[in-house]
Amino acid sequence: MFRQLLSSQIIIYHLILFLSFSLSVNYFVDLVFINYLSYVLFHLTLIYLVFYFLHFSIVPISFLYGIFFDIFLIDYISPHLICFLVFVFLFYYSKKYLLNFSAKTISYIMLGLTLLMFISEALLANIFFNYPINYQNLSWLLFTLLIVFFPSLFIFSKIDKL
Amino acid sequence: MALSFKVKAISRSRFLKNFLVSIIFFLSFFLIFFSKSEYFLVNKFKSISNNYLYPITSFFVAPVKVISYIQTELYEFRNLKFENNILKEEVIRLKKWQALAIHNNSENKVLKKLLNSTDSSLTLIKTASLISRNDFMFSKMININAGIKDGVLNDMAVVNYRGLVGRTIDTSIGNSRVLLLTDPNSSIAVKTISNSNYSLLQGSDDGIHLVSTFNKDEKLPRVGDLVITSGSAQVFPSNILVGKIVKVTKEIFYVLPFVDFKNIDYVQVVENK
Repeated sequence: MFRQLLSSQIIIYHLILFLSFSLSVNYFVDLVFINYLSYVLFHLTLIYLVFYFLHFSIVPISFLYGIFFDIFLIDYISPHLICFLVFVFLFYYSKKYLLNFSAKTISYIMLGLTLLMFISEALLANIFFNYPINYQNLSWLLFTLLIVFFPSLFIFSKIDKL
Repeated sequence: MALSFKVKAISRSRFLKNFLVSIIFFLSFFLIFFSKSEYFLVNKFKSISNNYLYPITSFFVAPVKVISYIQTELYEFRNLKFENNILKEEVIRLKKWQALAIHNNSENKVLKKLLNSTDSSLTLIKTASLISRNDFMFSKMININAGIKDGVLNDMAVVNYRGLVGRTIDTSIGNSRVLLLTDPNSSIAVKTISNSNYSLLQGSDDGIHLVSTFNKDEKLPRVGDLVITSGSAQVFPSNILVGKIVKVTKEIFYVLPFVDFKNIDYVQVVENK
């Protein structure tokens, strides 16, 4: 059971997750694009991990990252935690339907899911905690996502071949 | 393109999985439900996360911090000559003001003696420096290196040399988080200096200005009026500078804070005497 957990690819993905998490929660006023990039990369990596290396351990990991993202970025727990857990559980119980899709379709599903996660996090923060939906931030996230999506998939596929 | 689909799910020990899922569901519900009500266990959890996880993340992002620092230094170095000229002009202007201030100060002292009034109403609890910032996506918060051991408690006012910065939340032993004025969930009771219009302010959607949410007697101030804390909500001491009114519409007005929230290095935690 733990062999899969300790494979070199999984370790690399978890390192990417932790580094992008660390960069996302530390705001750099003069290098704000790094924050956007790391925030996007974190979501992408998590989705990729869930799609291609699904293991039950991803549930507690998403739970912890969701809590810490909420504590550090919002100070109240909900939006990230709900989004991550809902996504992981939805995938966990619908994976048999996704097996039929081609690689290209899955790439687009991942792109759509990442965007959907950004929007739902902003919406939940707005509904629960009165944080206004910042369209400028969302556009920057979308812009960054479109730029880094295919290069990241390319890097991820290289990591997979390690 | 992504690799062709292959799920490597391992389905072993169904009981353990179900048990873990139940615990995660219960914990999520507990944390979400009690997070909003600020239950002490959730607050404790937040403090522990701030105390122990932040230093780890800061350690990992240290190289980026160095790059950011170098970039700032280079930018400042490029503007050195221009800044020097501005400073020279400012020194001349400030010298004139200094002479006037010294004169007014001595006059004030004499008048205070005559009126038998008490001095400044603020007590300095601790001067602290900024550790890290959390005002990237949603909330507007900063972390400072002063906590319960320095006498800092929740809901204390935080100021710097320009005026009001925010209030402390989530204080732990060595650190505290400061909710900045620009956060949409921060609320400040203020009044204008010129005609004492009492209002409540909160952070606006743009993350830069403050917007009024309530105006006493529905009176609106004028553009250019200075806004100070009124002290009526008992959270912030009275008469601390907040900002200047920059826009007035039919029902609300916008205030530009004096504090430059992007350049905060040191802050002071204060309370009423």
